[in-house]
Amino acid sequence: MDSLALILARFQFGMTAFFHFLYPPLTIGLGVLLVITEGIYVYSKNQEYLKITRFFAKLFAINFVVGVATGIVMEFQFGTNWSQYSSFVGAIFGAPLAIEGLFAFFMESIFIGVMLLGWNRLSAKAHWVSTIFVAFGSTLSGVWILVANSWMQSPRGYKIGSNGIPRMTNFWHVVFNPYFPSEFFHVITGAWEYGAFFMAGIASWFLIKNSKDMVMRKALKVAVIVGVIVACLQIVLGDISAREVVRYQPTKLAMMEAQWHTQRYAPETLFALPNNKTESNGPQIGIPGLLSMLAYMNPAAKVMGFNESIKYINQKDHLKLTPAMFPPVWLVFWSFHIMMYFGFYFALIMIIALILLLKNKLYDSQKMLKVFWFSTFLPIIALELGWFTTEIGRQPFTVYGLLTTVKSVSPNVSALEVGLSLFMFVIIYITLAAFALFLFKKELKERLEGKDELAGEAGGGIGAKAKEALS
Amino acid sequence: MNLNILWFILVAVLILGWSVMDGFDYGVGGLLRFISKNDNERRYVMNAIGPVWEGNQVWLILGGGAVFAAFPKVYASVFSGFYLAFMLVVWLIIFRAVSFEFRSRVESKGWRNFWDTDITVTGLGISLLLGVAIANILMGVPLNKDHIDYQSLFSLLNIFGLAGGLLSLSMFLMHGSTYLIMKTEGEVQKRARDFASGFAIAYIIFTILFLSLSLVFAQRLLDNSFGIIGDIVPVIMIIGAIGVIVSAKSSSDIKPFAYSVLGIVGAVASLAVGVFPDIVPSSINPEYSLNIYNSASNHLTLFVMLIATIIGLPLVLIYAFYAYKKFGFKVKMDESSY
Repeated sequence: MDSLALILARFQFGMTAFFHFLYPPLTIGLGVLLVITEGIYVYSKNQEYLKITRFFAKLFAINFVVGVATGIVMEFQFGTNWSQYSSFVGAIFGAPLAIEGLFAFFMESIFIGVMLLGWNRLSAKAHWVSTIFVAFGSTLSGVWILVANSWMQSPRGYKIGSNGIPRMTNFWHVVFNPYFPSEFFHVITGAWEYGAFFMAGIASWFLIKNSKDMVMRKALKVAVIVGVIVACLQIVLGDISAREVVRYQPTKLAMMEAQWHTQRYAPETLFALPNNKTESNGPQIGIPGLLSMLAYMNPAAKVMGFNESIKYINQKDHLKLTPAMFPPVWLVFWSFHIMMYFGFYFALIMIIALILLLKNKLYDSQKMLKVFWFSTFLPIIALELGWFTTEIGRQPFTVYGLLTTVKSVSPNVSALEVGLSLFMFVIIYITLAAFALFLFKKELKERLEGKDELAGEAGGGIGAKAKEALS
Repeated sequence: MNLNILWFILVAVLILGWSVMDGFDYGVGGLLRFISKNDNERRYVMNAIGPVWEGNQVWLILGGGAVFAAFPKVYASVFSGFYLAFMLVVWLIIFRAVSFEFRSRVESKGWRNFWDTDITVTGLGISLLLGVAIANILMGVPLNKDHIDYQSLFSLLNIFGLAGGLLSLSMFLMHGSTYLIMKTEGEVQKRARDFASGFAIAYIIFTILFLSLSLVFAQRLLDNSFGIIGDIVPVIMIIGAIGVIVSAKSSSDIKPFAYSVLGIVGAVASLAVGVFPDIVPSSINPEYSLNIYNSASNHLTLFVMLIATIIGLPLVLIYAFYAYKKFGFKVKMDESSY
């Protein structure tokens, strides 16, 4: 394994995970919103809520299938590109993946078929239950994937065996590793934020075109009510997650905050141009003492700098890491900070929208509707940046303190092979994303032109024609 | 019986689950362009698997996860060793997965033709490559003493591998045809009956070819650990296929599918019997082979996974039963169909 193959393998993993992660958060977030809108329909018999559900279910289906398609490689990529990692931690890391398939992925995948194609075969309540299964299954999928990921951040429940390979000693310690609860709530809430902004953005687009669209008014209302709760909650959860980083991953914290030197009254840096070579930030703006305060509830608390955090972890885990093995600090710093700024932006927008809603001005405020339309996909950028922060920030480890990335890669796969597959993945994933956007757009246009009255009246759309032709 | 043997059996059961439940999806896909003549028929055939293919595909994901957790070294060696071949399979699966959802959303002839061809080609490709990979494992993989396999894509393309590919291709096409006999009516069903017996004959021929070649390439199929009983397991494959041929001409809609399942049981059982107690034999030195002990996770992982399977698998079967029941016996299209 030469270093070029390693770089390509890392790039391929990052790229495929990046593309895959574009979709599942929407499946989770929009899934919950569909459960809400369909639930309102089931209990109020208000047809408008059925129309919301049926329209967004179409978009949901496109997103779901691309999410599944791009996810398949994730299941196998540990074996193809990271075989040393797989043999080293398979006994622990493989378990949550298999359990995810068994308990979660089956549930969502079987019920998605029932949900999407069973509108006329199930009673309203039974259909709602299948929607719940899809949403619950996808959330449960998130649980187990995040168990696996959080274990890589803060590994527990294992002992190194006589052959030098970790053995599982306690399954529940693996599952409830220190990182898991905060990571889970942070990511799931982010997914719900995305769901809310997605629904709000699309509804706003229709309302910009026609502010009397009663169905989309209701959709926007639901999205804003859900959105304001999760967006505010997220700020608290983000804070909690960051404090877990303080406790368990000092090197990641130093990179997230571009904290080069150990100091008391450490500032929360808002802007900086971190430079690994000079180990300084250049021009920077910060609020003195705030980082110490956030991290330890005490403005005078000492926060570890980059070099000292490396020394600390070398000592703790008997390693010989050098600063050169770590990623560029600016990448982690800016991923984290832009995500954080987005988080405040989302909460602000949702609060303003709620005020407008309460004052009955939301649906006619072109400005607000335009802001929502503009923000439709912004939460996924924040989610991806959060994932950049946690994954790049974990480097040079794959399993923090236990296994480095260099020692995880497949030794028998050449740079040519990885390069070829990487090239193919880039083409395939861009094609898929383009198809998904094209079909999203098409569904929006069809609804706008009234071609597609999915109202739930039987007999609309292409299905009816086929039925005629077949009968 | 210890946990390692139990997990070997469980992995075989998962492979069987995948071949039976997802195998017909690939078969139906591979047949799509040949068995249906116009757009309505195409949609009719697609909707035979429409509501269930997504759930069926999880068998593959679960199989991968189970091997990862129970036999991590097998997972690591096989997937990295067969790198480009597996990548090819993954790309085919990706393009197949989106096709059902995408196809009927645009009313353009070119668009639909494109996805129909895609469904057909990916169905055929996956069915073929699966057998190529398994035949190569049976033949032995150049594992060195660290259980690492250095080989190229082209070394997989040997006569034995191709025979294995044709065997699995005919198996899934037979299975897909019998599934269509069960799910369709009229003209399409008539064609499916012809296809089913045709592919069953091919399945018998390729089974015999594969077994004859294994005398040269994969002695272990005959030298298996179960003696004479092990040697007659492959006969189940042929019995199943003969059952398909006979029942396809009868008026029964279900029997051909049942026999096809039997044929697949024979194939998976032959494979399991042929490799046991190894999972991936080494062609360099038998000592370097990965077996159910030296490739396995520790006891606790196997135990936890067993408990998870005992709880989870019945749930999966309940969901699947519910879904199949809701969509009825014969395909009926409505406005929410693909």
